[in-house]
This record gives sequence, C-alpha cells and structure tokens, in this order.
Amino acid sequence: MIQIKNLNKIFYENTKKEFYALKDINLEIETSTCVILKGISGSGKSTLLSLIATMEKPTSGEIIIDDESVAKLPDLHSSNFRAKKLGFIFQSYNLFNELSAKENVSIPLIPVGFSQKEINEKVLKALEIANISHKKDELVSNLSGGEKQRCAIARAIVNNPDIILCDEPTANLDFDNSIKFIENLKELKKLNKTIIVATHDPIFDNLDFIDNVINIKNGIICE
Amino acid sequence: MKNSVFFNFLFLLLSKHKSKHIAIFIISILIVFLTSSILFLKNSLQKEVNSTLENQSDFVIQKINSGKTQNIPTSWIDDFSSINGVTSVQQRVYGLYYFMPENIYFTIIGVDFFEETTNKNIKELLNILNISDFLSTNSMIIGNGVKKIFDKYHYFDFYDFKLSNKNLETIKIFKDLPKEANLVANDLIIMDINLAKQILNINEDEATDIILNVPNNLERQNVKEQILIKHSNIRVLQKDELKKMYENMFNYKGGIFLILFIVVLFTFILILYQRYSMISSTDKREIGILKAVGWSIKDIIKLKIMENFIVGFMAFIIGVILAYIFIFILNAPILKNIFIGFSNIQNDFTISSNIEISSLITLFLFFMIPFLSAVLIPVWKVAIIDSTKSMK
Amino acid sequence: MSSILLSNEVIIFLFVQIILFILLTIAFYFSLSIIKNWDFNKTTNKQYKLEKTSYLVILIISFTLIVKIVLFPYFAYSLDNLSNIVPGAMCAAGIVGANKFGQINLALKILILFFIGVWLIINTLDLKAKTYPYTQKKYILYIFIFILSIIELFLDFSFLDNISTKEPVMCCSVIFGVNNTGSKIPFDLSITNLLIVFYLLYVLTTILSIQKSSFLNLIINFMFLYIGYYVVTYFFSTYIYQLPTHQCPFCMLQKEYYFIGYFIWGTLFLGTFFGVSSFILKTFINKDLAYTYKYSLIFNTLFILLCSFYVIKYYLINGVFL
Repeated sequence: MIQIKNLNKIFYENTKKEFYALKDINLEIETSTCVILKGISGSGKSTLLSLIATMEKPTSGEIIIDDESVAKLPDLHSSNFRAKKLGFIFQSYNLFNELSAKENVSIPLIPVGFSQKEINEKVLKALEIANISHKKDELVSNLSGGEKQRCAIARAIVNNPDIILCDEPTANLDFDNSIKFIENLKELKKLNKTIIVATHDPIFDNLDFIDNVINIKNGIICE
Repeated sequence: MKNSVFFNFLFLLLSKHKSKHIAIFIISILIVFLTSSILFLKNSLQKEVNSTLENQSDFVIQKINSGKTQNIPTSWIDDFSSINGVTSVQQRVYGLYYFMPENIYFTIIGVDFFEETTNKNIKELLNILNISDFLSTNSMIIGNGVKKIFDKYHYFDFYDFKLSNKNLETIKIFKDLPKEANLVANDLIIMDINLAKQILNINEDEATDIILNVPNNLERQNVKEQILIKHSNIRVLQKDELKKMYENMFNYKGGIFLILFIVVLFTFILILYQRYSMISSTDKREIGILKAVGWSIKDIIKLKIMENFIVGFMAFIIGVILAYIFIFILNAPILKNIFIGFSNIQNDFTISSNIEISSLITLFLFFMIPFLSAVLIPVWKVAIIDSTKSMK
Repeated sequence: MSSILLSNEVIIFLFVQIILFILLTIAFYFSLSIIKNWDFNKTTNKQYKLEKTSYLVILIISFTLIVKIVLFPYFAYSLDNLSNIVPGAMCAAGIVGANKFGQINLALKILILFFIGVWLIINTLDLKAKTYPYTQKKYILYIFIFILSIIELFLDFSFLDNISTKEPVMCCSVIFGVNNTGSKIPFDLSITNLLIVFYLLYVLTTILSIQKSSFLNLIINFMFLYIGYYVVTYFFSTYIYQLPTHQCPFCMLQKEYYFIGYFIWGTLFLGTFFGVSSFILKTFINKDLAYTYKYSLIFNTLFILLCSFYVIKYYLINGVFL
C-alpha cells in the first residue's frame, strides 16, 4: 500500500527558476491495483513517479510504502528499496545499447548479492514472461522498438518487485506494440503487482483491468 | 554484492568502453616504463658495484704531498704490519697510461703473481691463467674496451709501450678478459708488478698505495688512528666509507631522476583529473540507469574506482614488464650510459637480472596512489548524478 | 640537500604523504560545512546536497586512511634501508633514535592509525543506520585526525631532514641490549616476572572479551600493549634472533627473519585496537559492538601464539632455553 501525504516538490528553490512541480499531493494506492496517472507533459506525473521510486527527495511531505517511510531514506537504503521492491519502465527504454538483452536484464540483480547462477535463472525467467527470450543474446542496439520495450519490462520484473512504475511507456511505440504492451501489463497485474502508469496516451482509456484513474494537472490532483 | 558477479559486469563494461581509457592507458604505460627502467637499472648497478666493493680490502693508504697522491715507500709495509689486528698488508701498483692515437687512458694494474692476493676478482682471474707461460715473456691481459682499441690500430699480438726514458717496451697480449667483467675491467691492462712499475715510472722500492685488512670491524676505528700515527702526510681510505659514498651517489642519481618524474607525474595527475571529469551524456545516462534499478552511490563509486584501478594496474604491469625486457634482456641501450657516464672508453657491460619485491612495491606506490587520487573526485562527481535529470 | 631526502624510498614516501595531505585538506574543507549545516530532519535541497558532499568526504577519507595503513610498514622499510647510509645504524632502531623527532613521529603514526580504525567503524555504522545518526560526531573526529595529520607531516619532514649522515647513531645493541642505556623494563621487573605478568594479562583480556565488559577491557588492553612491547623487545626477540644479547624491536622487520616483525607487531596492534575501541565506541556513539571483542580475542591470541612459537621452536630444537 502506498500512502502519500502532503507531498511537495519545488525545483530550483530560492532561485529565479523556482518551479512548483507538485503541490500538496495526498494519495492512497492499494496493493495489487493498477492505477493510471493521467496528465499532459509537465503536469508533474513523472516527478510524482520519481518521488515514489525514491530517486528524488521531496521538499516536504511523506511517502509511506508498506508501512515504511521512504521519502527521506539515506541513499544506501533507498537504493536497496529500489533494488528489492521496485521495477521501473521508462519512456525511452533506458537500456545499455552496447550490452545484450540478457546482460541488461541482469543489472538490477548485481548489487543485491545473488550468485551468477541465481542471476542467470532469474534473468531467463523474466525474459520468458516478457516474451523476449528468443533474443536474449542480441545486442539491444539491434532490437526493434517493441522488442526494446519488452526487454525493459523483463528488467523491471527480474527482481520480482512489489511495485512497477511506468513513465509514458507507449510514447515511442506504434499502435500494435502498444497493444502488446497492454497485454503484458495485464499479465503483470495477474501476478499481483501494484502497477502505476503515468501516461496521457488515450489507449489506456476505458481498459477493464485498470482500478483507478488519477488526474494530475499543474502539480495538483484534480477530478 | 558478490565479487565474482561484480567483476564479470565490470569487465563487460570495460571491454565496451575501451576508447574512453585508451589514451590514459598508453601514457600510463610510458610513465611506468620509464620509472621502472631507471629504478631497475640503478638497483642492478648498485648491486654490482657493491659486490665488487666487497672484494676490496678494508683500508687503502696513500702518501700525500700538498694534496696530491705520491708513490708510497714499500718499506712502510712493515710499519703497518706491526699494528695489532691488521692482516695481509700488500703493495698495489696501478696507474694511467696515455694512448695518444685515441686520446684516452688505459688503466694498468700490476699484480704480484707470487704473493697471495686478497682481491677476489684477481684471484678468479689467476685461477684460469697459466702463470709460467705468462711470465716467460713480458705479457699482459687486457679488458674488452682495450682490445677493441688495439684491434682498431692493428695491435693484435703485442703493443709497444712508451717508457719515460723514450724507450719502447714490447709486451705480448696474452689474453683478453671475458665480457662479464666489463663493468669494472673494461679499460684495464693487467701485467706483472715489476713490469707495471717500469711502464708507470714507479721506483722498485715504491708502490702506488698500500692495502690492508682488519677482519674485526670493531677494531677498525682503532687501527685507523694507529695508521695515522705511524707516518705523517698519509691518507687512509676506508671501505666502509667508500660503500656509503657509492650508496649516496646512487641515491643521488636515482633521486634526481625520481624528482623529475614527480614533476611529470603531477602533470599526468592533472590530465587524468581533467579527462575523467568530462562526463559525457552517455556516461550520465548509464549512471542514471544503474541508480534507477537499485545501485547505490556506494556501488557506483566502487564500480568506477575499480574501473580506473584496473586501467591503471594493467598499465602498471605492462610498463614493468616492458621495463624488465628493456633493461635486462635488451641491456638498456642509451640509458645505461647516462647512468655510468660517457667518460673514457665506451663500456658494453651486461646487466645481471635481479629485481626485488621492495622495488615493485615502491613503483606501485609511486604510480598507483597518485593515479587513484586523481580519479577520486571525478568518480564522485559521476556517482552523485541525479538519475532523473540524466534520463530526461 | 640532505642525502637522506634523496634516498629513493624516502622521496616516494614523502611524495605519497603530500598527496594524501592534499586530499585530506580537501576533505577537511568540506567536512567543516557539513558539521555546521547538517540536519538530517530537514528536507531542503541544501541538506540533500550535503548528503552527497558527505559521500565525497567519506570517499576521500576512506581512501587516504587506507593508504596510510599501507604506508606505515613502507615507512618502517624505508627507515631500515636508511641504515645503510647512516653511520652506526644496523636497523631502523638506530634511525629512529637519530634525533628527537623520531620516537614521537613513530608514536603519532600509530596513534593516527588507531583513530583511523575507529573512524572507519563509526562510518560503517553511520551508513547502515537509516537516519545518519553519527554524522556530526564522525566529522568532528575527522577534524581531530586531520590536525594530527598536520603534525605528522611536519614531524615527517623534521625527522627526515635532521638525520645526520655524519654523526654515528646508537645501534640497537646499545639502545636495547644487555647494557642498555635506553628505556628500562617498567617497575624494574625481572624477565620472568615480566613474562608472568604478560601471560596473566592475556588471560585477563580473554576473560574480559568473553564477558564483554568494555571499560575493564580498555584498561587491561592498554596494559597488555605496554607490557607486550617490552616482552617482545626484551624476551621474545632474543628467540627470534637466537641470540641472548640481541634485543631489538626493529631488526625482526628485516628480510633475514622473514619479515615476522610486521606480523607480530601487527597482531598486537590489531588485538589491542579492537580491545580499546569497544570502550571508545561505547562512550562516543553509545554502541556496543560484539565483533570488536571477538576480533580482539582472535588477534591477541594470534600474537601470543606467534611469540610463544619461537620460544617453543628453539626449545624443541636445542633442548634448552636461552
């Protein structure tokens, strides 16, 4: 369960470029639900995702995930949290282009302390779930857009996270691949993961497995 | 994290990022190569000189008149023998002979073949010599440098030395010294002691200096004082002091080079710092990805430091190996002459192969510590990059 | 220029010390602002920036201080090499006694190493906790270490520059030998009594380590270190050199004795370090660490075993004691 209380994020505080990305956000996301964060570019949804992922720190407010306050965790702990409980899928995939799909997917597992054998097992499993195991030794630079996205999905689930965050996942995909992505999301929901998708792609409107839609505009949640 | 897994990933990344490190890698090899060569050479020469010096007598006594050495009366040998604790007092005859065609000097050493000599080097030589043959006519044994010059002027079997009374003395070339002796014997001519006295214009009852041994090292100070009492205007050279002088000289020459290298190294550190501070956008993206998937700042610092350490360490190993090949297998052309000087005859000696662990540790400290120090701040700068900003 | 300063090992030693000092100064500059402005409960950008700067300082300090640990045996080795050009010296003992700076310099280096160890332990604890509880104390300790390092650098130069190559120094047989003029055994104990005290102290440290009483451990470990120095110098060293008149703490660092000196002094230092640090940690940051007692026990035992080994070996080979 993710609880957000009075969250504020100000960029470039006390300078001329001061910018209020999020203002007094209060939110609750139940475990194993799939939630859409809907808003145009610059509305603050990406910032909200980064804050939940502890990649940014709030100016004020609290984020409580499974009864643990994560907002101000020191780096050692926040990265541990990310490694064990979080999976992130980016708009531009953010994969290592010079490495193969398999190598990319293994990266989140390295700092945790698994042996090479355990890592190989988990990687293969994740690649299968994401339907990309046939290209596991292929360099990422040689993959198509849809394949890259599936590789990113595999990486996001390899550590068996509780929470999966997606930032505009379909923005660089064509229609067919977007549909495939939604299918993948459906599978992940069946695995009881909490999924948050930040997007303004209309393809996500009116899907049956979505539990909640949260509209965000100018850093404030609106109805 | 598990080390084997970490290193697998590290080497994977390194192999993909080769171009980033190649320039630093090559410069590092060069610096390590130069420094190691100097150090190896210095240590090797030092060992050689030390072992030669060990074979010398403990004391050398010379007669001095107004600051210049003069021939010493051989009668003084009895005076010194009477001092307690002194053994094997002998006369020594040696001097320089001017060879006009090449404008150089040969060193002539006179050896008394019938007396037990304390000089181990000469002892070894005499073991392989047929003394009766040697003494049947006026003969000499020459070093390699001398041989080359004699050959140049076609003196293959003998040479006519010019005496002070304008007469010529023909001396047969009996043998030349093996190449291994070159460090000390390159420009030597060894002959019978009386013959040497003739050529060097030394009277029969005189010698160049007198040597003696004092086996008990606690007695040496005592004996030195007693020697000085025996006669006025003499100078006493002590082997212990000579050793120190050589050590100082080697340290001095080695030290000058080291200081020069430190200057080079400082420049290198600045270049390193500059180069690794330039963080490309691909770098930023990579770090951002690592952080997003759960790598902590500590993990990233570890990754980057090890990356740089391996680049530096590989360069170190290759540099040391190249230096070893250069000094001990190729025999250090040019460099060795800088070390021993160009004076007199060209010396072509071989350098014996030996390196100590302590030299390697010294080299390691000298290079790796500044190298790592230079990359500390750049590594930190990379590791604290905000992952969200770098991935926009 | 003093020929000591031109000895290659000394040049490199001083060079590395200077580099380390530059790094430490950078860390000092940043740690000042951390001490002044650190407040973990604040959520301002400034605080987040401070947390990042803290990582730089931690990196520099960890690196520098680990190098200093490696540099210390190298320093001992350089001093040993200097005995070739200083008249009268046969080992590092003579060099250290060459001028008034030598002993303080050595003692200060050991002290700094000790505080380094404590700092590294506190740092690990600080990072593990979720609220950076010891950060300010950690950096105050660092300021103290930095000041010690300034003194150390000054002493290094003063010591090395003032070693004369003309005046003979006393060799270890004069300083420590049977007719010694140096420090005598404390409390005028005879060798046998000294040994009894020594082994008794060891038993005490063992009991106290198992019982985990930190204050008594501190006192007893200090005494163990103190007595240990004399016992090794005046008794065990004779068995290492196999000569009843050769009593010297430095000669055992040389190649002829397989560098065993580094291990003996190393285990003694580590054992007493862990023994003493348990109390320091308790008072400074209120934390009682079980593993300090364990390591103290392990290293002290190793130390005793190493020392006793030489005596037993000699007895087994020769049938008598020296």
